[in-house]
Amino acid sequence: MTRHVPTAEMTLGPFFPREFAAGANDLAAGAQGEPIEITGRVVQADGRALDNVVLEIWQADAEGRFDNPTFCGWGRAATDSTGTYVFRTIRPGASQGRAPHINFLILYSGLMRQLQTAMYFDHSPDPVLENLKERSDRLVAKKEGVNRYRFDIRLRGEGETPFFDD
Amino acid sequence: MAYTVPRRDARTQSGGVVEGYAQTALRWPAQPLARRAHGLSELSGPEPSRRLKATAADLAGQGARRALGQLIDVRARIVDEDGAPVSGAMVEIWHCNAAGKYIHPNDSNDAPEDPNFYGAARLLADAAGRVELRTIKPGAYPVPDTDGWWRPPHIHFSVWGRVWLSRLVTQMFFPGEPLNERDPILNAVRDPQARARCIARFVPQAGNALVYEYNLVVRGRNAAAELP
Repeated sequence: MTRHVPTAEMTLGPFFPREFAAGANDLAAGAQGEPIEITGRVVQADGRALDNVVLEIWQADAEGRFDNPTFCGWGRAATDSTGTYVFRTIRPGASQGRAPHINFLILYSGLMRQLQTAMYFDHSPDPVLENLKERSDRLVAKKEGVNRYRFDIRLRGEGETPFFDD
Repeated sequence: MAYTVPRRDARTQSGGVVEGYAQTALRWPAQPLARRAHGLSELSGPEPSRRLKATAADLAGQGARRALGQLIDVRARIVDEDGAPVSGAMVEIWHCNAAGKYIHPNDSNDAPEDPNFYGAARLLADAAGRVELRTIKPGAYPVPDTDGWWRPPHIHFSVWGRVWLSRLVTQMFFPGEPLNERDPILNAVRDPQARARCIARFVPQAGNALVYEYNLVVRGRNAAAELP
């Protein structure tokens, strides 16, 4: 069978329609599980907060399932002018030897390819997290309240978020 | 038969930091990207159509409310690495107007808006993985704070494949545009053949619109295809 080469990725550019980025950041509405809020800031190498960064997430349901017909584990948010994004979702369950986590994908002007990372809730055993060794701390969200987590993303520079090469 | 996402040949993709595109050096990670094994979390499939609504497949408009510019039909086809069509794939498409102006608060280009042009559509591929958009050909525009960089006419695509790692965001270019040779974004793709595949194919055809065909290959294939 002929192998088709995946198309080259290119930057989202600065003009992704704002309305396309809106209205898809609440995964908790009507979902079974423990509702949580995840917020964070996205900054570049010089520390400047970035406006209109598009973040997409993909996660399991509360039982660790990815094929739940009543829970859509995909969502999208964009940062505001302070670089801040917000997702409302439910806490995912553990799945297939993985600790509970939420996959993050980042698209932005100046990013020639999508950046992939993941947010964890604690240092529970997880092969992907452990592989990062001392950098794994950067993927564990900070608990800021009963159901509120902070997951800041630094694209480049001191304290840079680990990203995956898939 | 398990679905997998093989590693890519780096030459068929853009580098992270691109000469002539200053923001890439502030935003692309300095640390090497980490490898990871793929499991269900990376190889299961989101269904964005459960949250995002499709729109009409016509940005050119009708009657007295037609957008200015050269009428074009963009016929795109979404396949995976086996060449299998991704039926039902969600596809987002956006581009500037014929004068090179986006409807976006961040666009500072001093070019006129077109009251009859709204440059964004969200479509669902048919059973053969095809979407077709009637629109107008976008213009070129200068990139602010650069030494004479003009973006060639291009159309942005955002596509979902079968699994989380199949996500593809890219740009489609037009054949025969002199600005294609100088664009840092297009030329960041090192392999000339991979670069050429980012340029749509003009299809001579009767009718009132120029027709362009474009193939998008999203990541992922059936593991059994590896067998001899």
